[in-house]
Amino acid sequence: MKIAVGQGSCGIAAGSMKVYNELEKFLEDKSSLTITGCIGMCFLEPVVDIYDDEDKLHRLVKVKPEDCELIARAVKENNFSLIENITISREDEEFLEKQTRIALRNCGKINPEIIDDYIKNGGYEAIKKVLAGMSPEDVIEEIKVSGLAGRGGAGFPTWFKWNAARNSKGEEKYLICNADEGDPGAFMDRAIIESDPHTLIEGMLIGAYAIGAKECIVYVRAEYPLAIIRLENAIKQAEEKGFIGKNILGTDFTCTFRIKAGAGAFVCGEETALIESLEGERGMPRLKPPFPAEAGYWLKPSNINNVETFANVAWIILNSGEKFSTMGTENSKGTKVFALTGKIRRGGLVEIPMGKTLRDVIFDIGGGIKNNGKFKAVQLGGPSGGCIPEEYLDTVIDYKELSATGAIMGSGGMVVMDENTCMVNMAKFFLDFTTKESCGKCVHCRIGTKRMYEILERIVSGNGKEGDIELLEELCMGIKDGALCGLGQTAPNPVLTTIKYFRDEYVAHITDKRCPAKECTALLKYTINEDKCVGCSLCSKKCPVNAISGEIKKHFTIDTEKCIKCGQCQSVCRFGAVEIN
Amino acid sequence: MEKIKLIIDGKEIEAEKGTTILRCAKDNGIEIPTLCYHENVALYGACGICTVEAEGMPKLLRACSQKVQEGMVIHTDSERVKKSRKIALELLMSDHTGDCLGPCRLNCPAGTDCQGYIKLIAEGKFREAVELIKEKLPLPASIGRVCPHPCETACRRQMVEEPISIAYLKAFAADKDLEENTFLPEIGGNTGKKVAIIGGGPAGLTAAYFLRIKGHSVTIFDAMPQMGGMLRYGIPEYRLPKKVLDKEIALIESLGIEMKNNVKIGKDISFGQLRNDFDAVVVAIGAWNSLSVRCKGDNLDGVMGGIDFLQKVALKENIEIGKKVAVVGGGNTAMDAARTARRLGAEEVYVIYRRTKNEMPAEEIEIEEAEEEGIIFKFLTNPDEITGNNGKVNGIKLQVMELGEPDSSGRRSPVAVEGKFENIEVDSVIMAIGQKVNVAGFEDIELNSKGIISADERTFRTNIENVFAVGDATNRGASIAIAAIGEAEKASKVIDGYLLGMEIPYRKPFVSEKEVTPEMFAEKEKLPRAKMPVRSVEERIKSFDEVNLGFREEDAVREASRCLECGCHDYKECKLIEYANWYDIHPERFKGEKNVHETERKLVSIERNNEKCILCSLCVRTCDEVVKKGILGLVGRGFRTTIKPEFEGNEILNFCKECGKCAEVCPTGALKIL
Repeated sequence: MKIAVGQGSCGIAAGSMKVYNELEKFLEDKSSLTITGCIGMCFLEPVVDIYDDEDKLHRLVKVKPEDCELIARAVKENNFSLIENITISREDEEFLEKQTRIALRNCGKINPEIIDDYIKNGGYEAIKKVLAGMSPEDVIEEIKVSGLAGRGGAGFPTWFKWNAARNSKGEEKYLICNADEGDPGAFMDRAIIESDPHTLIEGMLIGAYAIGAKECIVYVRAEYPLAIIRLENAIKQAEEKGFIGKNILGTDFTCTFRIKAGAGAFVCGEETALIESLEGERGMPRLKPPFPAEAGYWLKPSNINNVETFANVAWIILNSGEKFSTMGTENSKGTKVFALTGKIRRGGLVEIPMGKTLRDVIFDIGGGIKNNGKFKAVQLGGPSGGCIPEEYLDTVIDYKELSATGAIMGSGGMVVMDENTCMVNMAKFFLDFTTKESCGKCVHCRIGTKRMYEILERIVSGNGKEGDIELLEELCMGIKDGALCGLGQTAPNPVLTTIKYFRDEYVAHITDKRCPAKECTALLKYTINEDKCVGCSLCSKKCPVNAISGEIKKHFTIDTEKCIKCGQCQSVCRFGAVEIN
Repeated sequence: MEKIKLIIDGKEIEAEKGTTILRCAKDNGIEIPTLCYHENVALYGACGICTVEAEGMPKLLRACSQKVQEGMVIHTDSERVKKSRKIALELLMSDHTGDCLGPCRLNCPAGTDCQGYIKLIAEGKFREAVELIKEKLPLPASIGRVCPHPCETACRRQMVEEPISIAYLKAFAADKDLEENTFLPEIGGNTGKKVAIIGGGPAGLTAAYFLRIKGHSVTIFDAMPQMGGMLRYGIPEYRLPKKVLDKEIALIESLGIEMKNNVKIGKDISFGQLRNDFDAVVVAIGAWNSLSVRCKGDNLDGVMGGIDFLQKVALKENIEIGKKVAVVGGGNTAMDAARTARRLGAEEVYVIYRRTKNEMPAEEIEIEEAEEEGIIFKFLTNPDEITGNNGKVNGIKLQVMELGEPDSSGRRSPVAVEGKFENIEVDSVIMAIGQKVNVAGFEDIELNSKGIISADERTFRTNIENVFAVGDATNRGASIAIAAIGEAEKASKVIDGYLLGMEIPYRKPFVSEKEVTPEMFAEKEKLPRAKMPVRSVEERIKSFDEVNLGFREEDAVREASRCLECGCHDYKECKLIEYANWYDIHPERFKGEKNVHETERKLVSIERNNEKCILCSLCVRTCDEVVKKGILGLVGRGFRTTIKPEFEGNEILNFCKECGKCAEVCPTGALKIL
């Protein structure tokens, strides 16, 4: 019997600590209680997995502390029908069943704080295999065969970067992991570190061996404290077991690990800005060329990959690059993890082979729109990506195919929007993010994104001018061409794609001074429908600015001059009389 | 070193491997603009101005860092590149607060560098001041006396108390220069091209001066007995003594310009003849005919045009005006006519003006001095009929007016008060209500609907191939002398280009301008404007001696030092404004929030104005990498990023040796060595 409480950040946020404490209180065999990482079903947290004596899994979901006594009884009596109401539904089980997990293979299955759990699941076998008989060139070749590409956003072939770093002259080389995951809406890297830190360590060790690095650095954003703790712990345990340090596994290969906590600037996800930050400088991108493979950290040859990329490496070594490459499309091999959020019924982490469609992810796995709403668009790749409307839902997941829509694969953030989302406002939201995260170095990003934001701001507030769309388009193209780094070059994507697919919404805001999604307050007008109003006066009592007047039992009216469009009247009206035009 | 071959802008180039595109282009005479690159510091890549396009590469490349590759085909001036640079410059300008040029210079139709020469005068460098003035205006002693000085109208010093006396300071410096060691410009090598200039007034003389400097051979043809045009025949001696004008004209003539007087086109020589004999012809004939009010009796003996009257006086012709004179009009010519009439012995001189004093276009000082001289102003009146006896004027019947609604010019238009009249007895009436162009002899030239010569505003070309036209005779008609001079100076550049086969039309340069309010000057010490010493009224009305007595040197220097120096100290060296003018930029498209900063003077000798900073970081990097001090740093992020002492500390400034290297590399006027 094993009872594992999901304790990723998301589970903890949902109350899994309390659940753990309660279970500890009620369980007779306390040694059966353990923790695990994140299974990726955010919509069902807290999750408790019970493996019964026949090792059959009973997955309990949305577990509350008050359920724990009954859970303890069910465990004691080996009678799981007692807790059927908190057992995962058949439908929700499909969320996982329809996935193919490589990078997330151990997430939610093992205890991330115990190295032996990882080892029991085949952990550190890959590095053993590598050190036992593969040359660095063999490793690079295997990765080349696999077709693995950078999962952080750009999708650059991993073997190519490794090879370049390997071939760069110099004794001192560095392998760096980018765990600065900054896209709002992406959290797979955090989940991997919190749930399966050794997978990252093993992947990095193999990478370090391949390029000839003796030092590995993991750049983790400081906002991921749990990830840092679990990774520190994992590094310590791996050192104790001889996987990290001098003469690893008795060979000549020596490699040390350290963590650098980043101060949380989005731009530090850009590899050269990350290097500047590592060196203690202000996080600003460097000019490329030279590329880091040539002159990176302290101007030494360096290779940078993100967490998810490294998480695939051990699997590839053990299962062969060829097997990895059987998954996916011609241009994009293997699997990709998506963080599904927004107006989606089943949000969480989804890992699927490349080549599946967006519809597969959003409807088949994600279960479609929450509250039976209507799908409008999905934002892919966070602030650097773009939105994709319904008519492109059958686009397959492939670096090239997604780029052709104007969006990008990015790090895998997938924000689903329903018909109540204003696309202009959405673009503004992302531009607000990029302007705040711009490092200020290059002109196009520093001033250009600010000006884009200002134009969007005036459009949503009803002050848009004829020609603003064209001006935005021109500015977007200018910024794409002129910005120094990826942050600036991709910042126009949300604007360009919303203009491309939802131009009529822009026109409605600018010409008709109307927000079709009824989201932009400045363009809304609250009125009371005479036919529906019974004159109860509740709205007028709730109105914070006394904008509603009328006689009891007759009908009430809203003074639009005074109205601040807070929407309280609408939410209190029991007769649906308050309407937004 | 290994050599590779590539093509830049269609030019086959051999370069060393490892060279950057920027370097390679520069070595081959192709300038790629950049604001953040400097050879003494490491590559940075912030400005994005140096982008170029390489065939087969989807992205634009930064020329400062991109190394040349074998077979590369690079375009440094493709449409895409130009567009990209233009946007970068527009964005930079949209967050750049400062005045490139002072309002004085911007408001001068000839663009004279007022701030520049005022500063030189304040430093006692009078000859240098004249040298600077003469880059735009070859007649400073004359114009300084008569110009209605739009520069002073715009002068920001009036937000403190009163504008700088710019015009008189100019006259002061020019007078000094005429006294001894007079400045003469260098003349370029002979081009073999011949230019005929028709009209020797301010426009013609200016065109001649600048075309001669360029090495062309220049001949001025003028219908009058002497050169000077309206400066001589329209402006009375008491405002501009002929000997001053003579000296300035003589200087111009001394450059090797042929001056032919008493030549009337169409009579003494045909226009066609000139067009054949010369490579280019400049028509600068002015507007010499007076307009009439057209009322009953305007053909009586004793009615004359203002210009005609002044001209006759200048020619010392005998004219009978009697003891009582009415001058109709409210402009400077009216004032000149009235005050001249007074000096000729008229005892009662009336100025008939249909609006009020507030609307008078004449200069305030002219009105004031006219009043001092006893001129009687009949405001809100308009001639209804000029009465006469035996064909000779004996009086004028005035329609009384009142002010109605504002017209298109914004002035309230006068409306007749029905049935209300006034009669005054006069012996003569001078009509000074406007001028028109006389194009007799120029039959082939195209005129606009007002009968004025039509000339292109950017090329100054007329409808005839090698004929250019400037000044009062063109487009909008008569204006002030400095406007004609400005046109002539601009036209001379175009004509020079035309003669050498590379005509570049005039384009108004783009400049950055700052919005100011009087509150910004609240702390300034009030220093009154220098008063021009003048002759007493009694003396004045008895002769045509110059009214103004001129500044004393110490007064001039003191007056000049009142200048607020609004324009940027770095305008001539500023790379930002230079590049901004390479492209047709319109930063107002991106008008939005601007960063606001106080000008900092934390150091004794270096002033930092972050509102002009473009964050190229050259100062930061130079201090760090060249001076090895690392005193400066970037503070804040995104749009709020600024350059300050590193970590915003003041202690770190103690390490500054004030070497000034930061200011030297600054591509704009953000840093100033005091």
